[in-house]
Amino acid sequence: MSFSSTPLFAGDLFDTALRVAQEDVLKASQTQEGVPSDNWRQMLNLGWQGVIVSEDDGGVGASVQDLSAIVEAVARQGNGAPLVDRCAVAPVLLSAAKENAQAAKLLHKLMTGEVSVGTALDAGEKGPGLVTAPWVGADLSMQGHLLGIDLSEPATHVLFRARNVMSQESMLVLLDWNDISNRVNQFTGTDGRQYADINLSGLSISSDNVLLKGADAAQAVSQARQMGALLSCVQTVGAAAAMIELTIEYLNTRQQFGVALSSFQALRHRTVEMYVAYENARGLVLNQIEHIDAHGLSEDPYKMTLIKLYVAGLARLVSESSIQLHGGMGMSWETLVARLAMQATSGSLQYGGPSECLDWLTAQTLTEST
Amino acid sequence: MTESSLNHAETAQIDYVKFRHDITEFMLANCPDDLRKKVCSNQKIGREDYAEWQKILHKKGWSAPNWPISEGGTGWDLRQRYLFEEVSAELDCPPLYHHGLGHIGPVIMHFGTPAQKERFLPRILDGSEWWCQGYSEPGAGSDLASLRTSAVLEGDEYVINGQKIWTSHAHEADMMYTLVRTSTEGRKQAGITLLLVPVNTPGIEIKPIRTIDQWHHVNEVFLTDVRVPAFNRISEEGGGWACAKFLLDRERLSPAMVPRLLRQLQQVEALIKSKVQTNGATPSLQSAISRLLHAKASAMGAKEMLLSAITEEMSGTLRSSKSSALKLHCTELSQQISSLAYDLVAPHYSQRLIPHAPAADGSDDLDMERQLLHTYLFYRSRTIAGGTSEVQKNVIARDIFGV
Repeated sequence: MSFSSTPLFAGDLFDTALRVAQEDVLKASQTQEGVPSDNWRQMLNLGWQGVIVSEDDGGVGASVQDLSAIVEAVARQGNGAPLVDRCAVAPVLLSAAKENAQAAKLLHKLMTGEVSVGTALDAGEKGPGLVTAPWVGADLSMQGHLLGIDLSEPATHVLFRARNVMSQESMLVLLDWNDISNRVNQFTGTDGRQYADINLSGLSISSDNVLLKGADAAQAVSQARQMGALLSCVQTVGAAAAMIELTIEYLNTRQQFGVALSSFQALRHRTVEMYVAYENARGLVLNQIEHIDAHGLSEDPYKMTLIKLYVAGLARLVSESSIQLHGGMGMSWETLVARLAMQATSGSLQYGGPSECLDWLTAQTLTEST
Repeated sequence: MTESSLNHAETAQIDYVKFRHDITEFMLANCPDDLRKKVCSNQKIGREDYAEWQKILHKKGWSAPNWPISEGGTGWDLRQRYLFEEVSAELDCPPLYHHGLGHIGPVIMHFGTPAQKERFLPRILDGSEWWCQGYSEPGAGSDLASLRTSAVLEGDEYVINGQKIWTSHAHEADMMYTLVRTSTEGRKQAGITLLLVPVNTPGIEIKPIRTIDQWHHVNEVFLTDVRVPAFNRISEEGGGWACAKFLLDRERLSPAMVPRLLRQLQQVEALIKSKVQTNGATPSLQSAISRLLHAKASAMGAKEMLLSAITEEMSGTLRSSKSSALKLHCTELSQQISSLAYDLVAPHYSQRLIPHAPAADGSDDLDMERQLLHTYLFYRSRTIAGGTSEVQKNVIARDIFGV
């Protein structure tokens, strides 16, 4: 029997998510002007946005392991639903700001799917990546852009880090989508998802839009980014598992020169290299999820950044090898393995891409050594 | 056609320095700026762009550097052809369209009848007929000899039925040179025939294949009771495999291969330097520099390998292992370079590959960093098309081991 990968967290939740995600993978995503796709609506109805929201705040109060089971299953199907953004990052931010009445209200509505909160987080005050957060002036007018919001499915709000132009301190700002929809510049990404940049310059906000300020906001951003990084690693592990399974199946089935391609040692060895890297990264990510469930998110993103850097290497290796081993079929968007490859490589760039992780980790290492 | 005095190189001692100078002057003066900008920014170029440049070259008598003077080519030797490609790449002129001039043209010259040469070659030369290659099939990729598209001779026409896949440029071509099965007897290779099929023949349906780079290059081509005159058969029935091998051998020793690589390296080096100026020598940029330097040395080696292969080809001593080694090395190196470029541009452009509202002034298309992302994705096909890296390694191994 050929290889069948072991999910990070097998069980009913994983199986359900696998089934739901399979239903709609090739359907074109609805853009912001449209309505949620049927598949996304189904995910909203299942309460996936509220999985890690505590019961007191109207959520399921489940573990990161449970959310990981969902995210891994959906990633394996090549389904581009914006789970990391809406079900992991936004809930962490809103939970941190739940003393604010508006945040508390939104938290409750996440579970029912009445709202869906898109996020835009730059590197913040500590962590890998560029510092690009927009500025808020003394008169609460804004300058700058929000970059790379995942708009694969419509958002009702956008939540982001901004910086006070006077004090430089972090602020967590919430805007209603209707107030900014005419400021949006949209793109299709390499993974086929829809993304948006938003020009906020000249927009005036009120103090009601500010959910959190200062050190609390900075910590919320750091932890939300770590959660985003972790769940994007889960996506990569899921996509890699599926790519390896699909590649083995293809090589076992495809006949050339009168024999199955899997009879060629060179192709077998390249697949083995994918598998070894996958098992290594899977163990790393599994351990980190269990650690976070047991101890919560760390204030220091060092370990998460190290894992993110390593998993980005897995994404690249498995994606490029899978494409090569599928021959022409690996280049076709209609082939699941090609979409998985695009999603894995694109996902590895979010919440700290490999270059950003390397730069930040090197800086930490140099600081420690002086 | 106006024949350049440079075309008579074979009759005199060749001054390669002057040759290079003259070509440079011509290209600088005659290749349109908008075309050069398009090539420089790594945009996808199509028939219109290729044809515009080919028309200019044709007027000068330079549209077919790889053809003999007797067929309207330049008659240049391989070293001159290398210089032509080198200057062309350095100045961001479009490459020559390979399917007509590089592939089927020489095949027709070698295997075609005088009537076939008269019918097909002039239109390849002036670019009035555009070609695509119908080789691969869903069940015949690396193992091309397993192809099943059939052609049956009925009177003085062949009737073709089957399917081709990964047919690049089919959507903008007039003609497709295609391998078909005319016999199932004996060795698989012996039953293959080369036919030239007008793409507008009834019974041909072309469907685009959406690829990961989100450009449109390749297609599926369905052939249902497609009738082509027997006149369009090149060589004898069953002689298609020899034609295909002839074509492939020339494809692997393309003088264009290395100069475009070197130009790509120049662009990536400039990109790294600009990022160092903006961001400082960050660890990731230092790592990029290290990869760049290795790629540079590797490309210098590729150039020398190509030049020595050219010399060996000119003296008739070139081994198949060397031309396959060139193909293997250059395609893998092109991936390393595009991969390096990807690491530099993807953090910003991965989420912005295709703008929904492109800038009216065309600046989005001219944005080289965005186009480098397309290039990285497109170049994944480099080690697949025209014989995978794995197939190349087998060819090399067979030759150097002698078994």
